[in-house]
Amino acid sequence: MEKTKSKINWKRELKMLPGYLVVIVYVAFMVIMLGWIFGASLSTSREIFTGKVLEFKSGFHWENYATAWDSQNVSVFFGNSLLYSVVSCAGVLLISAPAAYVLSRWKFRGSRTIRVLLVIAMSVPAIMIIMPLYTLAVKWGIKGRILLIALYIFMRVPYTAIYMLDFFATLSHDYEEAAAIDGCSANRTFWVIMLPLIQPAIITVTIFNFLSVWNEFFMALIFTSSNSMTPVGVGLLQIVNSMKYSGNYGGLFAAVIIVFLPTFLLYLFMSRRIISGVTAGGVKG
Amino acid sequence: MKKNRTLIFLFMAPTVICLLLMYVYPVVRTVIMSFFHVESLTASTSDWSFNGLENYFKIMHNAGFITSMKNFLAIWIVGGVFTLALSLLMAVILTSGIRFQGFFRAAIYLPNIVSAVALATMWVQYIFNFDYGLLNQLVTALGFEKVRWLGTDAKLWSMIAAFIYGSVGYYMLIYISGIEGIPKDLYEAATIDGASKSKQFFRITLPLLKGIVKTTITFWTINAATFYLWSKLFSPVQTEGSTIVPVVYLYDTVFGGKGVVERDAGAGAAVGVVLTLIIIVVYVITEKLLKSSDLEY
Repeated sequence: MEKTKSKINWKRELKMLPGYLVVIVYVAFMVIMLGWIFGASLSTSREIFTGKVLEFKSGFHWENYATAWDSQNVSVFFGNSLLYSVVSCAGVLLISAPAAYVLSRWKFRGSRTIRVLLVIAMSVPAIMIIMPLYTLAVKWGIKGRILLIALYIFMRVPYTAIYMLDFFATLSHDYEEAAAIDGCSANRTFWVIMLPLIQPAIITVTIFNFLSVWNEFFMALIFTSSNSMTPVGVGLLQIVNSMKYSGNYGGLFAAVIIVFLPTFLLYLFMSRRIISGVTAGGVKG
Repeated sequence: MKKNRTLIFLFMAPTVICLLLMYVYPVVRTVIMSFFHVESLTASTSDWSFNGLENYFKIMHNAGFITSMKNFLAIWIVGGVFTLALSLLMAVILTSGIRFQGFFRAAIYLPNIVSAVALATMWVQYIFNFDYGLLNQLVTALGFEKVRWLGTDAKLWSMIAAFIYGSVGYYMLIYISGIEGIPKDLYEAATIDGASKSKQFFRITLPLLKGIVKTTITFWTINAATFYLWSKLFSPVQTEGSTIVPVVYLYDTVFGGKGVVERDAGAGAAVGVVLTLIIIVVYVITEKLLKSSDLEY
């Protein structure tokens, strides 16, 4: 990232040619793949099968998107995923932020255990927990959207709490002392003063939570009982499976693009923040 | 600062409930369940009957589970070697001062951002497609016969290749952060002493990345052991021997799938425990083998 606009030293660049080639080939493959998929989403099934995807002889078939959106239920899946992601992100913050704050400020009985448990919970595989969760959900009669949102919130609590804990720990105690002198309660101090101070961390962690919930697949597959509550991942799988009968390949690729687009756009604008957040979180050498 | 017990309790309660409800209780129950004969997840605990290690013996002798473990090994070892080597290569290239490295990093990491279902669909429906797929277009352009990339023999390796391609970005970022943490003067000193680039890599970069390599091996093991989505998308309708992985086997045994005669939640729990043990054992072994403390910088 420290590149400056210095004059190009061709001799030096030439030495790194093999390196350039490797990364360019790697990225070019992806560009071709995405380009073709986008082209196919605007083509007819016939054009796709005869290998004439990027010629657009019969024009651009934007109606593929309309088909995918309406008759293939993508609008429903999309709405569900949006609901799950947004509500979960808010819920996770509401639960994790206070805990992260308390853990960063005070030692109390069990605080070490809770910290250790949070770290372990981050790497507990879903297969170790879904079976009893399924049993519990049936026993307590919780199902549908509420269940999935609750699971997504709980799924993201450990990571979010640990991530925010590090940021709260860097804040000076002077803030609380000044607030206390002014007669501000500890509870109010947290919500009004401390929480806004770690706003950058909140944004980063929320992006990661959003991506994780939007792309979640395993729990959605197990815990959604009807089409009306299916999120995009499982929905796309259903579309792929029904493709054998409907044969509408243009619609399929349009659906792929629709599912792909939200997180891609988020990434376009936030890539720097996301990339620096990947390694700032749990990874320690 | 003064300790405020009420505040601590109120602020901690939701997170503690989450930990107990979502992690502690389910993990304990899954472990216990693996030692009992349990037919269905909704069966009440009074119907559970203790049968010791019977579930473990049962899955060890099940053809489906054995195949899934073989596939897991292929993903874990072959996929792991290629992913970690490729991502280290990318990390070295992108820290060597080439232009547009910000763009390249972002582009290579991109597959980790987008929906994996969408990504896998792109591979299955385009790259590997027999009629119009990218690979077969290349193959015919070179004058060879078209290949059935998704045929029974090639499917596992096609799936692994697609998975590797998408995974590289994540491990690359981890390696990059490791390499950027190595003090520059080490390389400057080595250059003055006349050490070549490759010598610098093997004598400085690699030894100092030991701790990071350890982390990535653990992460990859977790990834391979919990591998599910790609297998599901490469054999969407019916589980196939060529792509079955332990989690797919678990899912089919517990929730039912084509070809499953009787559901067996106890056996499913045993699969989960076996996978978790594999992760823990690999973690412990890499910790022992790659002691990172012998080098300080």
